[in-house]
Amino acid sequence: MKRNVVVSWLIVLVGVLYFFVPLLGTFEFSLRYRRGVYSFEAYQIVLNDPVFRATFTYSTVLALATIVVGVVLVVPTAYWIQLRLPRLRPVVEFITLLPLVIPAIVLVFGYLRIYSSASVLPLTSTETTTDVLLTFSYVALSLPYMYRAVDTALRAIDVRTLTEAAQSLGASWGTILVRVILPNVRVGVLSGAFLTFAIVIGEFTMASLLDRPAFGPYLQLVGANRAYEPSALAIITFAITWACMGLIQLFARRTAAQLAGAH
Amino acid sequence: MPPARQLSWAWVGVVPFFAFALMFLIIPTSFLAIGGFQDGQGRFTLQNLVDLFQPTILSSYWISIKVSAASAIGGAVIGFLLAYVAIAGGLPRWVRPTLMTFSGVASNFAGVPLAFAFLATLGRTGLVTALLVNLFDFNIYRTGFNLLSFWGLTLTYMYFQIPLMVLIMAPAIDGLRREWREASANLGASAWEYWRYVALPILWPPLLGATLLLFANAFGAIATAYALTGSSLNIVTIMLYAQIRGDVLHNPNLGYALALGMIVITGLSNAGYIWLRGRSERWLR
Amino acid sequence: MNRPWIWTCTLAALVVLALIGVAPGQGKMDQLIAAAKQEGQLTVIALPHDWCGYGAVIDSFKKKYGLKVNELNPDAGSGDEIEAIKANKGNKGPQAPDVIDVGLSFGPSAKKDALLQPYKVATWETIPNDQKDAEGYWYGDYYGVLAFQINADIVKTVPQDWADLLKPEYKNAVALAGDPRTSNQAIQGVLAAGLAMAKGNMDGAADAGLKFFADLNKSGNFVPVIGKVASLAQGATPIIIRWDYNALADRDTLKGNPKVEVVVPKSGVVAGVYVQGISAFAPHPNAAKLWMEHLYSDEGQLGWLKGYCHPIRFQDLVKNKKVPADLLAKLPPADAYAKAVFPTLEQQDKAKQVITKQWDTVVGANVK
Repeated sequence: MKRNVVVSWLIVLVGVLYFFVPLLGTFEFSLRYRRGVYSFEAYQIVLNDPVFRATFTYSTVLALATIVVGVVLVVPTAYWIQLRLPRLRPVVEFITLLPLVIPAIVLVFGYLRIYSSASVLPLTSTETTTDVLLTFSYVALSLPYMYRAVDTALRAIDVRTLTEAAQSLGASWGTILVRVILPNVRVGVLSGAFLTFAIVIGEFTMASLLDRPAFGPYLQLVGANRAYEPSALAIITFAITWACMGLIQLFARRTAAQLAGAH
Repeated sequence: MPPARQLSWAWVGVVPFFAFALMFLIIPTSFLAIGGFQDGQGRFTLQNLVDLFQPTILSSYWISIKVSAASAIGGAVIGFLLAYVAIAGGLPRWVRPTLMTFSGVASNFAGVPLAFAFLATLGRTGLVTALLVNLFDFNIYRTGFNLLSFWGLTLTYMYFQIPLMVLIMAPAIDGLRREWREASANLGASAWEYWRYVALPILWPPLLGATLLLFANAFGAIATAYALTGSSLNIVTIMLYAQIRGDVLHNPNLGYALALGMIVITGLSNAGYIWLRGRSERWLR
Repeated sequence: MNRPWIWTCTLAALVVLALIGVAPGQGKMDQLIAAAKQEGQLTVIALPHDWCGYGAVIDSFKKKYGLKVNELNPDAGSGDEIEAIKANKGNKGPQAPDVIDVGLSFGPSAKKDALLQPYKVATWETIPNDQKDAEGYWYGDYYGVLAFQINADIVKTVPQDWADLLKPEYKNAVALAGDPRTSNQAIQGVLAAGLAMAKGNMDGAADAGLKFFADLNKSGNFVPVIGKVASLAQGATPIIIRWDYNALADRDTLKGNPKVEVVVPKSGVVAGVYVQGISAFAPHPNAAKLWMEHLYSDEGQLGWLKGYCHPIRFQDLVKNKKVPADLLAKLPPADAYAKAVFPTLEQQDKAKQVITKQWDTVVGANVK
């Protein structure tokens, strides 16, 4: 077993090198704002920009909303498919792969046609309803990841036995899902949540064409015409997003304990 | 409960999902599907589908498939290894949550920032390239390495493929009970036999599913490739964007047909995955 | 006693006529401003702030008329703008663009697809005839020529012409600012190189341009990375072929870190014209018209000039001595522009067909 730990550390080391060295390259470049010396000026410019804070907050809120809607949509569905409708699995899996290959720009042009102010469901007519539309489009974008993560988690537990046990104790479907299944697929839901959060923070096409003040369009604006600020922005975004994920993880751990009846 | 009642309740459970899929995925995509069969004036035509079989477009599909497969398999192997050692490899407890959160961030680090990060590190004027030349007088470019190539792009793609694999496989690796490892050791199995007969067969379906997800993920990616090897590697997503949004070619119907082709390829790989998974799951029941 | 009356009446009539003659011009503009103010906002698309100084132009419009300007997707290409109009046909929300700024060839095709509405600005007559649609559906707004944008810290000898780029000292140095299969800027770059190689013969320019880039690629001078200001500064693409106004704007942004030289090549100078149009489905048509008036006024045109773009009324402004001398000094020398070739629509289309179809085969997709 000791041999294994050495091998484990070696693998982790290779991983760390691969992931951190490109970040180092970006960081080094971002320090070159002033000619000949290393300075943090590019970072100051980015952090002092009020638009940075406003758009990041907006995207964070939307990301959290997307995660909630996504979990509420995917967990019961994946559970149901596993338990009762295994024949529908290929269909559902294929549907969840669609967002990966359909260009986001095609999707958003579709939304503009269907949900325009002249249609039955005028979601683009006010800012709030457009926010709702944007949230749902983000749920669609993150569907592949959320579904695959939750599905993997569900297959690792014995859903049938858990359900029967809970039912024999008199639990309703709601109780089963929230207090039995959800805590057991916590790892999968968390993975899905991380992936969703990252996607929403960086998403550009839909936010910009639906005309919402999200972080993605801001990133694009800075990145298009500047040399050093985009690198600084990339590092800052990386750091802040990592911190947000840490917070999500802390929150999830505490909630799962409460849901399962803390022990 | 009589079977008929059970079936109808079961369908209710998935109605929200299908309603959502209909409203936000299928109907918008139908514009794409219909558009692929129309010409510029809206008349029905099969010309777009015929056009898909031009040599440039066929080769672009092939290159896309190659890059996606290479980065999916590479990402799957390395991602799985990383996830396994972090969860079950005997490392300190802080490694796992750090890896998970970092993977969350890195999974979406793509496009221009990623391409630029690799250029700034391994490009001809990159940090590492320069360091190696200055410290060890070793120029990686003289060994034939070129970041702006098929393998360079695959290497760059793995930056978001590996974290994706880590996150997707984490729950499955979590499900590998330690007791099974101990039990197999008790029965006299070596580590290799444990893997071959216990762990891998259990992990095989989620491994396949995750690899397929990685494949589709890379297949639909465009921003990174465009930024890094834009005008030299002819992948199908760039062709698609050229038709739909380009300054120049602008035949959106051909673009829709290209997207339809991508959906077909994704569907085929999904079918292949389901077949493979079905075979391996037979004995699990 | 009749004569004085006749004179008074005639005089009065003349005065009234004169007033009527003057009033409509002024009244129409005031009416337009009032109607636009009632609409309250303008939605634009694909206008990066550093492109032709659009940031300042938009700000001046907002300040002058107090309207809100809603800026969609600054990263959009001309094709995106057309798609945005099509997708928002029934939508009066803020996602529907009112005005578009697209490449020359997109004007006629948008008109054909019934996506534009006609409007002739007050200064219509001063726009050159071959840069506008006779019925007023689209009209040229500015142009620039293709130039070399050079990182002077890395590149010691600055190339002066296309043939120089083939020299061995520029190994791994030359890049385009886009993909020649999708980007207008990149295609014109190939065309310009070809024009230089074909000694001014436009018919053979596309093929000559492809051959030039094939040679550039074979000798190892060509870098397939899409050139941006960040990659210029970092050193991955120390020479980028770009519109001169973008190159000059980048030079200002970098503020000497690194030093940037912008060189208009001695031969093969190709000019690219962009055109404006009002969407047929614009939710704020009066704001759109007011925007056009603003852009084609002296103030708007000079705003573009400050962004290093040559406004379409440049010759007219110079003739009337409206251009400040210090602004003229910051532009590339006028004789560089004297040789500029403006490809016609047919020439552009033909070149596009050739270049986009053959780029992969000629500049051998060096794919494994």
